[in-house]
Formats: sequence, structure tokens, C-alpha cells
Amino acid sequence: MEENTTQAILQASDDLSNRFLTFGIDGAVYGISLTNVLEIIGIQDITAVPNVPQHIKGLINLRGKVVPVIDTRLKMGKEERDYDSLTCIIVIDIQDMHIGLIVDRVEEVISIDLEHAAVPPKAGMEDKQFLSSVVERDNHTVLNIDLEKFMADDLRQY
Amino acid sequence: MSTDDSSTDSLLEAFIYETSSLLDQLDEIMLDSEKQKSLSEDNINEIFRIMHTTKGSAAMMGFNEISNLAHSVEDVFFLIREDPSRLNLVFDTLFDLIFQSSDFLRQEIESIQNNGSDYSPSDPTDLINKLEAQAAVMKGQAPEKAKSPDSEKPDAPEAAAKPEGDKKEAVPPEDTTQIRVFFADDSQMENIRAFMLMTQLKDHCDFIDSDPPHPETDSSLCDSIIKNGFIITVKPSYSLDDVIKVIEASSSIKSYEVLGSSSGNTKKEEKAAAASAGKPAAPAASSAKKAKKPGSSSGHGALQSLISVNQSKLDHLMDLVGELVTAESMVASNKDLAGLKLDNFTKSFRELRKLTDELQDVVMSIRMVPLTGNFQKMNRIVRDMSKKLNKKVDLVTIGGETEVDKTISDALTDPLMHMIRNSMDHAIETPEERVALGKPETGKITLSARNVGGEILIDVKDDGRGLDTDGIMAKAKKNDILTKPESEYTEKEIFHLIMLPGFSTNDNVTEYSGRGVGMDVVRKNVENVGGNISIHSEKNKGTTFTMKIPLTLAIMDVMDISLGKTTFSIPITSIKQSFKLTDDSKIMHNTDGSDMIMLRGECYPIIRLYEYFNIPTQVTDLKDGIVIQVESGSDVACIFADELLGEQQVVVKPFPPFFNKYNLKNSGLSGCTILGNGSISLILDIRNLLSSER
Repeated sequence: MEENTTQAILQASDDLSNRFLTFGIDGAVYGISLTNVLEIIGIQDITAVPNVPQHIKGLINLRGKVVPVIDTRLKMGKEERDYDSLTCIIVIDIQDMHIGLIVDRVEEVISIDLEHAAVPPKAGMEDKQFLSSVVERDNHTVLNIDLEKFMADDLRQY
Repeated sequence: MSTDDSSTDSLLEAFIYETSSLLDQLDEIMLDSEKQKSLSEDNINEIFRIMHTTKGSAAMMGFNEISNLAHSVEDVFFLIREDPSRLNLVFDTLFDLIFQSSDFLRQEIESIQNNGSDYSPSDPTDLINKLEAQAAVMKGQAPEKAKSPDSEKPDAPEAAAKPEGDKKEAVPPEDTTQIRVFFADDSQMENIRAFMLMTQLKDHCDFIDSDPPHPETDSSLCDSIIKNGFIITVKPSYSLDDVIKVIEASSSIKSYEVLGSSSGNTKKEEKAAAASAGKPAAPAASSAKKAKKPGSSSGHGALQSLISVNQSKLDHLMDLVGELVTAESMVASNKDLAGLKLDNFTKSFRELRKLTDELQDVVMSIRMVPLTGNFQKMNRIVRDMSKKLNKKVDLVTIGGETEVDKTISDALTDPLMHMIRNSMDHAIETPEERVALGKPETGKITLSARNVGGEILIDVKDDGRGLDTDGIMAKAKKNDILTKPESEYTEKEIFHLIMLPGFSTNDNVTEYSGRGVGMDVVRKNVENVGGNISIHSEKNKGTTFTMKIPLTLAIMDVMDISLGKTTFSIPITSIKQSFKLTDDSKIMHNTDGSDMIMLRGECYPIIRLYEYFNIPTQVTDLKDGIVIQVESGSDVACIFADELLGEQQVVVKPFPPFFNKYNLKNSGLSGCTILGNGSISLILDIRNLLSSER
């Protein structure tokens, strides 16, 4: 039984590994691997939790499961901005935890041939570098985020 | 094919479950007996039975190694059972061997559990040889007595189980009465009827024997029973009349006569005759034993009437009940009902709530298990470690009957083990050191549990050397985990440093502790089930670790309050009263900006929650909001919030692991819950709130 599920997941990840969900923040378009994405929901009531860093907005109720949400703008060090009808929460699964990422807008799901993707510049900002690759699309550039690196601070146990 | 698999699986599961609980039982008996330096007859029989069952079921499952080892142990106890005095010859070695065997069996069971069909057995030959050597010692040194049963043993090991069959076959005690019973003509199977009669009488007699002995084994005895009658020798527990009544009540008995007291002489003669017949005697004994077994085990069954249930089913049940409670709140606080006058609905709803409450209580109680099992395991650790480390330690356990949720009980095993190991390894000194310090040579570790208002307090207390504050400080500095200047650390804070990740005071990594995964893991485990640990230590007097653990993870009654846009829930058990202030007369302002309130001649601090949690709200005047007086143990304080929202039952959910590192528990939040309207409320932990405020 357990083996079957693992196998199913393995198969699924085969199919998803080169597909990315893209979302927009300000003018830029970012992509995250679809393997991490569980679902996309509209913005909803968030219960603030005291004594946590500012970018952790609090908790949402996802069908009976309590999920922490992070404001991706604040996490990236950008200005906070009021949520509007386009604001979405992307629920991701990372290190067996479910986390919601608040983004300005969700764009599309794209397939990327990673072999032809450009490597992001490394210069000067190794610690903060969370991009895994940069891909040129018809009329815009997609910056692919390495979620493990992006969330490294939050995922650390202490 | 698949059905085959699943039936083997469930068999295997049953085998694993049964054998593990048997091994637990074995450990318990052995530990007790080792303490008393003797094995009672009951215990010897019990161990024999455990090993016998293990042997049988392992052989059935095809685990020959387990079966062989169990057989060797069984052999040893067979010898002991014949003559308990032999035990003294080999007491210590034997106990070690039995413990090793039990460990071996446990490991095998575990590896079967983990690897399933890939399980590859380990080789118990070494242990078996050692056991056989001990058996030889016992036999060799008690040749006189051993000889006769031994000669019989090889082909019929069970035959000599006589002593259990009817223990006091030796000389009947005084005051016995002989009764001759004749069965009705044509009743057939007289021998079985005779046996059944014996079984019925057993409960009413202190001693019972019969002629012929063990009639059930040989149907050829029927004739003699028909001809001579069946003679029962009894010593009634109460009165002979009781016995007679039983005989009269039995079916198919034609007549009986009381022969009067017997000196036992005739009996002996007859018995000798039976023994000389040889053949019937041996099988008689063995089947007598078999016959007794189901009898005694069914007695157990009637007493306990337990079933074992897969825990995942219980978890599911618990989840469902949790959802049910939430759904119920959703119905009760449904917007569509707002403002309606619904007398009948309210009545029916109250009925429903009563039932769900009851259901909840039952489900919770199903999941409650006593801590005895956990404590028992610690006994074993202390025993093994004190031998290895050459330290003398007594483990005292108090309050093992305290019950906690199964999940919590499971989560506690590792932390407890770790703390006991730490105490054994680091805290308790060697006997020489202890004597030099004027302490009793034998160290003492006390493991106690008690129930204090919805929480369980578990203390692990030793009388060892106490925590070395300087050593901890130096180590912490070296590992760079200090967050403020050294001089600002209070003693308590220093103690708590040892629970930070990557901290280990002992430079010597030993088999038992100091692998760098120490108290931080303990803390994490305990926090995962919503508890916390505090440390109290005095140099050369000892250290006490106190774990505070919630009774259950699940459901509690809370009062909801609002604060700005956030909802908080306060456990009802923590609330003394709530009120609205009408004037400022009772309020006193401290110079540092904090407020106090005078209630019935006593003064309490006021905690303004919006300041404490830094949450923006319109309500900042004490007269506008609500004051709730809360208590935790001896601490009492008043909380100031915007508004009371009402009382309800909630399912407590721990914060997602994502929040672990922010230590929300210490800032006064124990978890969160989903309210009837789907929003999330934060549950206040009054105890931590008060202590962090102080």
C-alpha cells in the first residue's frame, strides 16, 4: 500500500519536474516547480500569530487543516501592499510541511527545458541567492525560485 | 493470493503484538524477582508459560530461531520448576542470560516488524549454548533429585509438568474427606464426567484428588469407574455441604457416599499401582496440564474481556469526533439561525450536544493508557546501566497508574529514557564518590507522575551531583549558543541552555548518552505533544526535571475573547471570573506603566493582552473592555481584552511544525483551533503567560 503511493508520487514527479507554476510580484515573473505545489486558493482571512517575523502573516484554515502563510513580497524584502482580487495563496509542500505563499497574482503553468535554462548570476550575493535558473519566454523572463533556498531561514529548526 | 497475504499479515501482526506483550510481562517478572532475589512458584510457572507460548507461536510462524531460543529458556525453567532450590546455584548468571534472551527476542520481533518478509533471523546459538550450560550446572549439582524426572525428560519433556497439573500431589493435607460417586447407568464417557465433576469441585476445595487420578485421559477407566465408583478426596474450602451440593447438582450422578476421613494410606498404595502401570501416568500428567490451561486462561478472559484495536483506527475515530464537535459548533453558530427564536431546535440541539459530549468522553477514555508501561521500561534501563557503569541506583516509581492519551504515552518513552540515561550516566556518582560526599552508597532516581488539573506532571529526580552551572556556561560559550552577555544569565536560564540543540556537557561520548542529541531532542518530543520541561538543580543534592504534559491532545472547553481582529481562547479551567470595570477606583498604576487591580482585598497584576502580543485594537481603556481573572497553580492575574465572545468546545490543534522555532509556547500560546465559523483562534496558555509576564 505504502509502496504504491510512493511509486505514484515518483511517477507524478517525473511528469511534473520540468513544469513550473509562475506568479507575478510587481513587474517580475517568478516560477516554482510544480512538484512543490499543492493548490492555489484565493486570499482569505488570516489569523495573525504574535511574536513571529513580519513576513509570516499567520494561519489560514485550509479545509480543517491549519496552514501557516508567508507574504512573498515581504520575504523578498519588498514593500507590503494591500491584498486585492488577484492576490492568491499558493499552498506548497516542502519538507513535509504545508505552507501558503501569498503572491500578487498567479500567471500560468509552463514547461521548461531545464537544460537550456540560463544559470542566474552568482555575483556578490551567494547567501541570498535563491534563484535556480532564468528562462526567456516570448515577451518576458521567468525567474525560477529554488524553494529550499528561498525558505531556508524559515525551515531551519532553531 | 492477496487474501492469503492479508491473512498472514494479520497473523503476523497478532504474533508480534502477543509476543511483545509477553516479553514485557517477562521483563516485569524478572525485574521484580531480581529485586527480591527469589522467584516465586507462580512466577516460575508464568515464565514457563510465556516461553512456551512464544515457542509455539514462533514455530507456527516459521521463526525457528526464536522458537529454539524460547525452547532453551523453557528448558531451563522446566528444571527450576522441578526444584526451585536449583535456582540459587545460578541466580545472577541466569538472570543476565534471561534478560539477554528477552532482548534478543525483542530485537528479532522488531526486525520482523520493520522488515516484514525481508526479515533475516539472527543466530541465537550462542545464547542457547550458554543457557544449556546453565541447565547443565543445575542438573549436575542436584543429581539426586533430578535423576528420575530427567530420565523421563528427553522424549516427553512436558510429561514432567506434573507439579502444575495438580500441584500438591505429594501428601494430602489433613481433614480430607473421601467421597465415592457412582454415575447413572448408561451415562457413558464416565471418565470425562468424572473429570468434569472434579473441575466443578475445584472451586470449592482447597485440595482435591481422585482415584483413579486423571480419569479424562483414559477411556478404559470407564469400566472401573462404573464398577468401583469414582473416589474423590477433597479438603473443602468452606464446608463439606458445599461440596455435596455441587455433587448433587451435577447431572448423571446416580448416587454418592461419603466415606469419611482418610489417612491417605490407601490412596498412596493405589497411586503406586497407577504409577507402576507407567504408561497412563505420563500422558495423564501432560493432559492434565493442558486441561488446566484453557481453564485458567478463560478465567482471565472473563476478568478482563479486552480486545486490541489498531491504533490508527482509534486515531481516525478521534479525528472524526473532533470534526463532529467542530461541525456541531458550526450548526449552533450558523448565521442563518441568527436572531431566530427556536425553542424546539434549541431543545433538540441540547440533546445532541449531550450525546456528542458523552461520545467524546468515551473516545478519550478509550485512548487513555496508564504510564506503568513507560515506567517499567525505565526499570530495565536502570538495571542494565547500573551493572555496566558500576553504579548502585534504585529507581523508585510513583504514580504509574496515572493515565494519559496513548499518543502522549508513546511520545514520552524516548524523552524518559533519555533523561534516565542522563541521570544514570552524568548525575549519579560512583559508590565511592557518594560515600566520600556523605551520601548513601546507593543512588536514587525517582520517577513520579501526578495529575494536576488537566495536566500531568512527570518528575525525573535524582540525588546526584546536580548541574554544574560553570561547566554549562563554558560549554555554551564554546558552542556559541549564548544570546546575551554571560553575566546576565540567571541560574534557571543556564539550566535551560542544556536543552538547546547541539549541547552536550559530557566530553566523553559514552554508549548511553552524550551523542550530541540530548536534551534538545527531549524538549522537542515533549513540546510536540504540547508539554514543556523545567529544571531544578542543586549542587550535590540532585536535579529534578519536571515535564508538564497535557492530559490529552484533543478537546477542551474554552472561553473565546476578541482582541482587535484576532480571536483568542482561554481554557475554562484557568478562568476564575470575568467582569467589566465600571470605574477606576480599584485600579492602581505602577510607576513602570503597569496596572494592578484590587479584588476582595487582594492585589493582582493586569496583563493588557494587546500590549503583550502587540496587536492593534481600539479598546485600550480598562473600562471599555473586559477583565478576566485567570489562575495557574498559585499564580493569579487579570487579563484585559476587548470582548467576551462566548464559551465553546474546541479541538486543540498544535501549531504547524513551521512555528516550532519561535517557541510560541513560552510566549503563552499553546495551540490553535478552528472555530464554528471557520476562523482560527489562538489558545492561550495561561501558565506560561503568567510566568513569562512575571
